[in-house]
Amino acid sequence: MPPDVPAEGRGFRNTYRAELEQLRLQTEMMGVLVDQNLERVGRLLRDGDLEAAQAAIGADDAIDAMNVSLTERCYEVLAREAPVASDLRLVVSVIRVISEFERVGDLALRVAKLAPDLALLRSVDRCFDILLAMSDEATEQFRTALRAWATVDLGVAEQAAEPSAWMELYYEQLLDSLLRVSGPDGIRAALRALVAGRAFDRIADHASIIGSRVRYLATGDPNHLAAEVR
Amino acid sequence: MSVDADAAPMLNSSSSDQSSTVFDLHDLNVYYGSFRAVRDVRLEIKEREITAFIGPSGCGKTTVLRCLNRMNDLIASCRVEGGIRYHGIDLLGADIDPVEVRRRIGMVFQKPNPFPKSIYDNVAFGPKIGGVKDKATLDEMVESALTKAALWDEVKDRLNSSAMGMSGGQQQRLCIARTIAVQPDVVLMDEPCSALDPIATARIEDLMQELKSDYTIVIVTHNMQQAARVSDRTAFFTAEVNPESDIRTGVLVEYDATEKVFSNPSDQRTESYVTGRFG
Repeated sequence: MPPDVPAEGRGFRNTYRAELEQLRLQTEMMGVLVDQNLERVGRLLRDGDLEAAQAAIGADDAIDAMNVSLTERCYEVLAREAPVASDLRLVVSVIRVISEFERVGDLALRVAKLAPDLALLRSVDRCFDILLAMSDEATEQFRTALRAWATVDLGVAEQAAEPSAWMELYYEQLLDSLLRVSGPDGIRAALRALVAGRAFDRIADHASIIGSRVRYLATGDPNHLAAEVR
Repeated sequence: MSVDADAAPMLNSSSSDQSSTVFDLHDLNVYYGSFRAVRDVRLEIKEREITAFIGPSGCGKTTVLRCLNRMNDLIASCRVEGGIRYHGIDLLGADIDPVEVRRRIGMVFQKPNPFPKSIYDNVAFGPKIGGVKDKATLDEMVESALTKAALWDEVKDRLNSSAMGMSGGQQQRLCIARTIAVQPDVVLMDEPCSALDPIATARIEDLMQELKSDYTIVIVTHNMQQAARVSDRTAFFTAEVNPESDIRTGVLVEYDATEKVFSNPSDQRTESYVTGRFG
């Protein structure tokens, strides 16, 4: 993404360049932390791994702290260095993307916090299978978005920006099957399944926003900003 | 006013289709002796806009600026080839009076250069040369120019004191007042703030925004933030180095809306320059 540096220009604004590179890398690091939590949520649902759920809850503080510190650093770079062109796009995109990461982290946490009710969730077979598929799809979508950020590859970004048709289908199926849930704990289970299902659906939306943002970062085309608010 | 009445008729015509274009440069080449300083510059400067020329040292931006009011005529070895049309008229034509050109196309320089005269005389100098003799008319022109240059309130009680006693920022605004006193069409500014402190700079920048409603402004600046702040269009020049002869020739790389140049430039060299990757 940073343009080729002409030979005669090497050595200018080194501190600034290094800070931009750090911002880019640490945003990626933050994304990796979020990805780990999505993985833990997957383990919770698939294997009933309660420790993973606990670890996810603990790791969320680090994600929030990174969000705050990276935001502050972006503001400082804006104030001190007045970045322009691709540098400006990078800084404003970091601000946007870390906020998306933070939201994805919170949504993952919502599912992690359902750990005490795991048995209840599992009691409605069909719904639970759909939730597992949604968890995998959300994680996959998020990874594509994170890969887009890390590589600033337009092809990957486009893939990430494309809303997941699978997720849409799963969500519809989930709602449909929730309507059929019965039994004494049916409503309690359905409400929890809905919380988890909505969280996964939203995670995929945030991944798509990140993809659009990387397209903007790579091209500077403001039309991609419109895709973020679709 | 009498200054206008005496204006050379040659410079007055302007065809309607070119009404928004003040300068049309096509394939402009400038030589100092056998050395080509600027190569094949093409750009149009629009009326009542601020156009900024940016680029590293030695890229030809000041040379191009000085072509716009034929200041390069004053350098014996300098030769200008190609075309500069000013409101559709060939500015380099043999029948064009360079003095008249410079009255219509004024210039403000890097260092404030007031005459060692009173504030009043500095501003009245141009109109007097232009033939204005009536004291009341001169007074009016001086007040009007100083007001437009945002200086009137500061100096109205000491118009007869020496301009040399003013601060740098005031001197530069006085030079702007002196330039606009002869009612030019265009004001060229060659790094007008580089010798000024930030507050004086901000005042000149504010002033440029106000002057824009009456004048076309072209500014050369090394301060990219200044170009981004004040200009409507930005031209980025750079120097191409001939690897064999090591001779540097200025070329125009990109000319576009300022917003575009600073948010998403089309040329990689512009991107590298505005982001500070080379300079």
